[in-house]
Amino acid sequence: MSLDGPHSLTPDERDAVEELLFRMADDEYVAAERYIEWQIFAPTLESDLALSNIAQDEFGHARLWYDLLQDMGYSEQECIWERDPATWTHSTLVEQPFEEGDWADAILRSYLYDTAENLRMEALVDSSYPPIADRVAKVLAEERYHREHAQSWLERLTGGEHHEKVQAAVDRLFPYALTLFAAGPNEDAIVELGLRTENLDDLREEWLEIVVPFLESLDLTVPEPDEVALPEETGRDASHTDAWFDLYEDFTHTYNELELEEPIRLRGEG
Amino acid sequence: MSMDSGAPLGSDACAYTDYTPGEAPEEFPKTGEGATGVEAEIWEALYEVQDPEMPVSVVDLGLIYNVEVDGSKAIVEMTLTYTGCPARDMILNDVRCAAMTASGIDDAEVNLRYNPPWNVNMVTEQGKEHLREFGLSV
Repeated sequence: MSLDGPHSLTPDERDAVEELLFRMADDEYVAAERYIEWQIFAPTLESDLALSNIAQDEFGHARLWYDLLQDMGYSEQECIWERDPATWTHSTLVEQPFEEGDWADAILRSYLYDTAENLRMEALVDSSYPPIADRVAKVLAEERYHREHAQSWLERLTGGEHHEKVQAAVDRLFPYALTLFAAGPNEDAIVELGLRTENLDDLREEWLEIVVPFLESLDLTVPEPDEVALPEETGRDASHTDAWFDLYEDFTHTYNELELEEPIRLRGEG
Repeated sequence: MSMDSGAPLGSDACAYTDYTPGEAPEEFPKTGEGATGVEAEIWEALYEVQDPEMPVSVVDLGLIYNVEVDGSKAIVEMTLTYTGCPARDMILNDVRCAAMTASGIDDAEVNLRYNPPWNVNMVTEQGKEHLREFGLSV
């Protein structure tokens, strides 16, 4: 089954497409907002550049998905700048603030997130919604080095004096990472319509099969996934931790201060 | 597109634009060869639009995927080398303005496509020559 473009969807199909797009776009956007905090604090010039570059990729991918929401009638303001922060559906993993100077957190988060991101994209290659399927190959090509970057740093940070920091990041972030696979209200429809060709439980299993052995190979202890209580706020049902509301206020500050009628465009694109 | 000239091509570390070689899909790059009339004029105008960071035409870079004319309106389909391109709106506007210089055209629509995903083998021979002159080894 293949759906057409944005204009021939039934209301139920539309709800499912929107939920899928907002989850993806919000994840990428908020992850990038947090990464850029490292732009001037990363431990080497190369990693300053790497983290800013990864953030730039994620902003680019967020834009791909917000563009498709705009094709469905939303404006950029409605998607980002004037959107009620209590309606965003990113996983609460990506909104967590970094403990001061905790590079291990940034690296581990990137590893957990980008591994999940890769699996999600692979499950969209054959999406029944062509505008999504058409964009996936480009994203997959740009994501590969994110995982390589995170993995090589994890190997470097473990086994020595920083090992405990990484372990603390695993303990803190792992429950939040599981919210990546928490369902939203239209999850059944997303799978039934073939918008995503795998359900979240299967994606979670595949993710665990990758991340658990890798982290254990670095002598890290990973919590037993089925015994981990999901955080009260998963993000997927628009519930969020306090840190998100602070972050939202920060990144919309300039927009609000300038009182722009619409986001600034270079040379006034028409 | 963005990269430091002299950076090793095909290096995994150069991330702005993926220069690792891929296959150029059949029918790409599209250059307007064989186009006639107003469409040919539009292709010619697009040849004048350069990437903001290097003196290479967007046509030679292989970024233009289709040109069509509907009455007095031009419809251009194009891609970007990199999804995080910070000059996206600028390039789209340059392409739109160029398309509108063709005779009888008073409006132009530029649509972004990411399929097939762009790769460096979609640069034309002439484009590669220009990139070499600019200091990149392709």
